[in-house]
Amino acid sequence: MDPLILSFAVVNGVLLGGIYGGVALGLSLIFGVLRVVNFAHGSFLMLSLYIAFWCWSLLGLDPYLSVIVTVPAMFALGYFVQSVIISPLIRRERALVVEPLSALLLTAGVFLVLDNLALMAFGPNVRAVQADYYLPSPMLGSIPLNPQRLIGALAAVLVALGLSWWLRRSHMGRAIRATAQNRDAAALSGINVPFVYAVTFGIGCAVLGLFGSLIAPFMPISPSIGVAFGIKSFIVVVLGGLGSIPGCIVGGMVIGVFEAVASQHITATSAAIGSLGLFILILLVRPQGIMGRA
Amino acid sequence: MNTRSITAPQRSVAGLPMGALAAGLGFGCVALIPLLMDDPFLIHSLIMVLFFAYMASAWNFLCGYVGQLSLGHAMFSGVGGYVSVLMFTQLGLSPWIGMLFGGLLAAALSVLIGYPTFRLKGPYFTLTTIAFAEIVRIWVENTNDFIGVPLKGAEGLVVPAAGDSLWAFQFSSKTPYFYIILVMLVLVMLATRLMERSKLGYCLKAVRGDRDAAEALGINPTPSTLTALAISAFMTALGGSFYAQFFRYINPERNMGLELSIDMAVMTIIGGQGTVAGPLLGALILTPISEMARGHLGGGLPGLHLVVYGLVLMACVLYFPKGAIAPLGRLVRRLTDRRGSRP
Amino acid sequence: MAKPSRNRIALLASTMLFGGLAAGPVLAQGAVKIGCALPLSGGSATVGNQTRAGALAAAEQINAAGGIKALNGAKLEVVFGDTQSKADIGVTETERLVTRENVVALCGAFNSAVTFPATEVAERYKTPWIVVGAVKDEITERNYKYVFRINNKATYDAREQLDALDLLAKETGKKPKTVAMLYEGSDWGRSHASNVKRFAKERGYDIVLDEAAPPNQVDFSNQLLKIRGARPDAVIVALYTPDHLLFSRQLMEQRLDVPFGIHSVGGGTEDPAFYKGLPQRAVDYVFVQEDWQIDKLQQTDDKTIRAIADRTKEILGYGMSAYAAQGASAMYVLADALERSGSADREKLRDAIARSDILSGPALITGYGRIKFDEQGQNTYAHGVISQNLNGQRRTIWPTENRAPDTKPVWPVPAWSERKGS
Repeated sequence: MDPLILSFAVVNGVLLGGIYGGVALGLSLIFGVLRVVNFAHGSFLMLSLYIAFWCWSLLGLDPYLSVIVTVPAMFALGYFVQSVIISPLIRRERALVVEPLSALLLTAGVFLVLDNLALMAFGPNVRAVQADYYLPSPMLGSIPLNPQRLIGALAAVLVALGLSWWLRRSHMGRAIRATAQNRDAAALSGINVPFVYAVTFGIGCAVLGLFGSLIAPFMPISPSIGVAFGIKSFIVVVLGGLGSIPGCIVGGMVIGVFEAVASQHITATSAAIGSLGLFILILLVRPQGIMGRA
Repeated sequence: MNTRSITAPQRSVAGLPMGALAAGLGFGCVALIPLLMDDPFLIHSLIMVLFFAYMASAWNFLCGYVGQLSLGHAMFSGVGGYVSVLMFTQLGLSPWIGMLFGGLLAAALSVLIGYPTFRLKGPYFTLTTIAFAEIVRIWVENTNDFIGVPLKGAEGLVVPAAGDSLWAFQFSSKTPYFYIILVMLVLVMLATRLMERSKLGYCLKAVRGDRDAAEALGINPTPSTLTALAISAFMTALGGSFYAQFFRYINPERNMGLELSIDMAVMTIIGGQGTVAGPLLGALILTPISEMARGHLGGGLPGLHLVVYGLVLMACVLYFPKGAIAPLGRLVRRLTDRRGSRP
Repeated sequence: MAKPSRNRIALLASTMLFGGLAAGPVLAQGAVKIGCALPLSGGSATVGNQTRAGALAAAEQINAAGGIKALNGAKLEVVFGDTQSKADIGVTETERLVTRENVVALCGAFNSAVTFPATEVAERYKTPWIVVGAVKDEITERNYKYVFRINNKATYDAREQLDALDLLAKETGKKPKTVAMLYEGSDWGRSHASNVKRFAKERGYDIVLDEAAPPNQVDFSNQLLKIRGARPDAVIVALYTPDHLLFSRQLMEQRLDVPFGIHSVGGGTEDPAFYKGLPQRAVDYVFVQEDWQIDKLQQTDDKTIRAIADRTKEILGYGMSAYAAQGASAMYVLADALERSGSADREKLRDAIARSDILSGPALITGYGRIKFDEQGQNTYAHGVISQNLNGQRRTIWPTENRAPDTKPVWPVPAWSERKGS
């Protein structure tokens, strides 16, 4: 295989994988702390993409600037969803013996509602943001790097680092980690657990808001865009390790490179099967993923 | 006077258990519908309700009692449909026999997948079943020919018309299909009932309650869960074959897709998983909803019926975790108690 | 453990079902009902709604002009059923339209996977069906009496793309040798690819890349890399809107040169939303095969056709497309047949449709020269039109009969570095 093509593929894979990792950060955080598998993860990304699009189309705001709208909006939405819809379930879990899959089903319901409300409200037509300025492509040797994807991948790394640091150093971050370790012990130590949960969910969605703005410049937007990213996010999170922030980025890049290199030899559809197979293998053989704790 | 039961004592009327009597009456009335009403669209709609009730019941046979959420069951339906159709078109084998082969293949596949997967807990198990089902679906969608067998990928398979033929499992009127699916539904519900009270059922419920405790008591979860899985897969595959013969067309997206798996699971959960009548109830509730949302609002509000599904699902998880059958059951018990308390 | 009374449940269920299904529009006096089974939600909702708009516009026009004169001015009433792009629901909707709504004829349903089984239901109920949008060859290869198709079969689409290549090669003496194919991995893409392969072999083109793409991709870098490696003279693309948008944009960003251009067989490139989402540079010189003559409106003065276009734009919010045109055409074909049969009886209508021979008028809004069905129900005069995107507009270049005199195709297409604004 041509070494130039191979290196081009690897570079593409790293950039795209970084973006996958960034998008998956919220999922990992929410699972790590609340132990909730958020089936509606892709739907939130879809919503933030639409918000970014409307900011551009109605207000003339550049997608990168629309971050100031998407991040707080998605934080608020996440906070709301957690405190109003999911927390009754978590509260009830203490009282009765409820099937542990209820949270998954509940978020599946949220996914159905969000995706189809979006379809009803926005219509099935595909929209796209069109930037009217031109970003130059930096070169890595003789390989051009797509600037928008580069920004997305760099942002993913920075956000992951920032989030890890914040979780370790800040007061709220410590409260979140304590709650993740042991909910009851944290409550006994005086932590307001429902508040922590809501904030965590909010942060998870806020990160999605950020990445929605970052990928809006190059991603076509339709109500079903959430599903594709949702599936990828699950694969990335499992690969990287549920609950591990740096693991997300690593997992994302591994998937990105794997698919990029595999697609050069086989069709993309077979590569998709490969990713799913890898996903199953990891779950069966090493469930904590590359960097997670079991 | 049923001393076998270790739950509430059976109410009886003239010596027969009341539940069975009610069931018999109910199904008897349903069976008369095609004879009393000559409306092909109504029969068609009822067949769809019964079909989904059947598929949900097959799903419930395993998942309702084991307490794991499989969202990959559609792959068994797909295997069943494809095997019976291919055996008909390639080998000239009657779909009735092809169905059985499909069921056996699905059961074998299920055990192969289930053996390593059942070790996983909760959401990990669910995600793995989704991944397996998607792999099967994507593979079939992209494969035109497999060792000489024309799978025709995404194009799907067409069952060639054979007129009115019992042997070829094709009928020009809808009524025979109606009775076939009705009988299949009754059989699957009977099987569930029998399983509930059998050793297999007790093992499954023990594992669902507390896996570690069950193991401590000497119950090996693996053989019971795998047996239930194989039976569930077998029945799901038969449903897939029925579908293939009713519509005379199957394709990977509809017959092996995630949407079918979700339908099966959601109907059971809303109706009440872990019960015999729950899946039927769920199908009865959800199918008219989607019909109405589609029929009345036509194209006005696309996706509305799915919004309703989602809301019903959320309401169910939050307020009716045992499914709609719980309040309904309480209602019935209250009414029959009043009757029973008369001297 | 008492079980809830099944009797009660069955009764309740039947009532709910019956109640839900029995409601329908009140039959207007003297109206002729036509049923349209279309994907109004689901993956193909955009197309379904376009067809619906076209059909409504045409029906309104026919009614405003006095309805069906042979039936004393009876008005056309179009009833829609949402197939949700799914085969079994399409079949159910067909059943409903025929047995509940008592339509005299049906049209639809764009998705081949839906149209194929649904038309079989129509055949069983002896109700005529005008196929729009669906290209699966076998739909009109079953010796059916009641199924008629006005648009292209899948083989025509593939053949036409290569006809256009041949035509341009003949006109300029420059012929591409190698062709790459990128197509969506489900029914439409695959059948198109296999048809293209067949014709390519016959006409001496080399297929250097045969790449199926899974739907709803988020990135095409890998496939673009493969295309770059294969160095084809021309690329044939069959993708739906979101994928096509992404592909075209990334192709532009990566400045991938394909000397004899990108040849799209529709899908995304037929969708007005596609063009709204891309800068003009991304679609310059792209060849699009679609089932109607895109610059018809510029070439015709026919007031009826312009009125249909205006009304469709009112309903949809954007202009005409192939599917709106087909929806309108189907209505006019039915109206024409009703006039000739003089009766709303399904058998007589079917016979009238079979004898159709339309040489002019609004039914040809699609750009065909003629509508006449063969014994299998296929309109053998159906053809698509291949346009090239020149100076911001899609202008027809094939077939030459539909080409406007001032249209000059650009062949081969300029490299990215030579294009203005790059």
